[in-house]
Amino acid sequence: MKPATAPLPEALRPFELIEGVVTPASLDHQVLQFPDRRPPRAWYVALAVTLSALAVGVFCMGYTLYFGIGAWGNNRPVAWGFGIINFVFWVGIGHAGTLISAILFLFRARWRNAIARFAEAMTIFAVMCAAIFPVLHTGRPWFGYWLFPYPNERAIWVNFRSPLVWDVFAVSTYFSVSLVFWYLGLVPDFASMRDRTSEGLRKRIYTVLSLGWRGATSHWLHYDKAYLLLAGLATGLVISVHSVVSFDFAVSLVPGWHMTIFPPYFVAGAIFAGFAMVVIVLTVVRKTMNLSNLITDNHLDVMNRLILAMSCIMGYAYFMEGGTAWYSANPYIQHTFKNYVSGFYGWAGITTVTCNIIIPQIFWFRRMRRSIPAMIFVALAVTLGMWMERFVIIVISLHQDYLPSSWHLYIPTKIDFGILLGSFGLFFTLVLLFARVMPVIATSEMKASLPGAQASHGGASHE
Amino acid sequence: MNEATSGTFAVLGLYSDAQKIVDAANKIRPRKLGRLEAYTPYPVHGLDRAIGLAPSRLGALVLGMGMLGTTLALLFEWWTSAVDYPLVTGGKPLFSWQAFVPVMFEVTVLFATFTAGLAMLFVFNKLPFFGHPVLHAKAIKDITRDKLALSIENAGPAFDSEVARQALIDNGAESVEIVPVPVWNPAFTLVGLLQTIGAIVAACVVAGVGIYAVQKVLPIVPPMLHMHNQPKLNAFRSSTFFPDGRGMRPAVSGTVARGHLPPAFATPEEAGDMLGNPLPLTQQTAERGRKVFSDHCAVCHGAVGDGMALLSRAYGAKPGNLLSNEVREHSDGFIYGVIVLGKNAMPSYAPDLDDSDRWAAVHYVRVLQRAQNAKDEDLR
Repeated sequence: MKPATAPLPEALRPFELIEGVVTPASLDHQVLQFPDRRPPRAWYVALAVTLSALAVGVFCMGYTLYFGIGAWGNNRPVAWGFGIINFVFWVGIGHAGTLISAILFLFRARWRNAIARFAEAMTIFAVMCAAIFPVLHTGRPWFGYWLFPYPNERAIWVNFRSPLVWDVFAVSTYFSVSLVFWYLGLVPDFASMRDRTSEGLRKRIYTVLSLGWRGATSHWLHYDKAYLLLAGLATGLVISVHSVVSFDFAVSLVPGWHMTIFPPYFVAGAIFAGFAMVVIVLTVVRKTMNLSNLITDNHLDVMNRLILAMSCIMGYAYFMEGGTAWYSANPYIQHTFKNYVSGFYGWAGITTVTCNIIIPQIFWFRRMRRSIPAMIFVALAVTLGMWMERFVIIVISLHQDYLPSSWHLYIPTKIDFGILLGSFGLFFTLVLLFARVMPVIATSEMKASLPGAQASHGGASHE
Repeated sequence: MNEATSGTFAVLGLYSDAQKIVDAANKIRPRKLGRLEAYTPYPVHGLDRAIGLAPSRLGALVLGMGMLGTTLALLFEWWTSAVDYPLVTGGKPLFSWQAFVPVMFEVTVLFATFTAGLAMLFVFNKLPFFGHPVLHAKAIKDITRDKLALSIENAGPAFDSEVARQALIDNGAESVEIVPVPVWNPAFTLVGLLQTIGAIVAACVVAGVGIYAVQKVLPIVPPMLHMHNQPKLNAFRSSTFFPDGRGMRPAVSGTVARGHLPPAFATPEEAGDMLGNPLPLTQQTAERGRKVFSDHCAVCHGAVGDGMALLSRAYGAKPGNLLSNEVREHSDGFIYGVIVLGKNAMPSYAPDLDDSDRWAAVHYVRVLQRAQNAKDEDLR
């Protein structure tokens, strides 16, 4: 029974995933050609910019190693300054990739296919950026392996009751699982690259990376199963990682941190920030790499709707924090909450609310969701807002806690900002390199969902 | 099997339409012309059943490995936190399993995902394998791009490449390719093996030297010396900050350290008249005395107190024989007084030993005297 008279509302109808005619061969030609060609001049200019930012960051890291952590602005009582702000920020950015590749896969949201590869790559790069900060913050990064439990001459073990140890396990698991997930998706595409490349070093590299993948159905059988299992496992993982990051705060007794809303609030914020970063990168990528027929306005539209949804969840979480402070009748928590929006750092809280809650509301309008300048504006605002949110949580909560005699302001140094800039440089350098040497769209997944790619009655036995 | 087909690995029929290849597979499968396989650029739903594959059993392995991860993580956390390095945190029991859950979860996911990914590639699919005949077929370029290939593979004497070719053409294949068995190249030659081992050894050496350098050398070579050069005063360094030019501050006059009350006697004889040993002679005090004696006294007086020690042999000095009748007749207080005030060449040991250590040493001297002049009833 088809309700011909009452069609579904526009928002619920499935939308076109591609524009124009796309065949498997044209897809390969369009997506896999980039390594064969010289990059355009704009790419070199962009790379020069990102490498310069990275160089600044490397200099500041060297400065930190030479002079010690005293080069940073953190001191008592704000012992966690930029190091942890940037760590949480970057780990959060990574979450969009896993959400797209795992959770949307389980929900059979087919629009994810076009953006999954790029988002997964961004996950890996973001976690690499995140790892810089806690490792540098240890002061002696060459002993970074002390974070892991291993038999040692000191005859001691890590404290498994500490959220910081949970964090080490969560983030390192997250990174390695994301890497496996990403590589698994790349294997069939490396095989396509191998077979469209003539002899030479590139062919040998793609041959090794593809592991001799030949697309046998007996292989696809296990591959599909593995992909499904990985998606299911990564779904639990992506929720756990930022929850564990939030435990770093929530398990302590600092006013403003000790709240049960933190895990879901952090996970939503991470997905929120991650989607904003994906929108920023993809709007640029689809324009400069001529992929607008594969990453369509419809894709951006649906991502913007997700940003809007996450923005509303964030609004609820902020409201909830205020509610908790009020209902707790605890003067310390109330004082901290007042500090969020007034006092020396009050501007940070105001910026957070404006960028994360107010500005994304323009996405209620379809025209805004489909306007490139509008979505870049919102995505940049969200990126800034989410960074500010971590600043608010960490710095404002710490700088005035239970003991007024130890209250102290936190002022980051130039070195702090330099390393932050360097992490952006590293991230975008890796994004630029990735875009030139690897398949930027998961072609085998795209091919499987093109019109006519599958047998019309599922191939079930029908004798 | 004739001469022509024995060198054939498989016959490939190429299709463009997913429905056609599934139909063809369903038609050809019952004829048992050979092992049926398909090569496609993307997973075609239903093709696995059409060529007669059973569902993947990867899930059971992943479940098992995931549970193994959970168990190992729990056991490891219990063993490190409650057995090998018991550490009370926040007054919780040593085996506070609730706090172990996050790490258990992460290790479970780690084990399960690595099993899913790596077992799929390396065990179930037997990759990497670069020598497969289909990889060297002309059709592989089409297969990884847009063509779907149905393959009837040589699985024994029943295989006939001409029959297989005809079956594929009859079932709608757009083109057919006969894939020969490749000329066998041994994968492991002696040179290749030696090169591989050499590369592994070289990598280990480079990694080992690198890690050693980063751990042990990097932190202490210039310019990384800031940990060593710190703006603070070390002991016995001079300082212009204080008028007396010393960095260390002397104690305020009249300060008395715990256990170092100034003696109320001027000679050992006076001490012998005034004082008796306040410590009871127990196993514990005797053990303490033995430690004090061997650390401070034995170097001159000898391990058994007979005055024959390394120093006396080397320098000709004559430390007192503590086993002599003279010393045995001294009171405890007298020996205590000698420790505090010194005697002849022996300096005062008051700064090194606190009150209870001195009295414990006295006890031990008595123990030595009795042990070296043991009577019959002592031995019983």
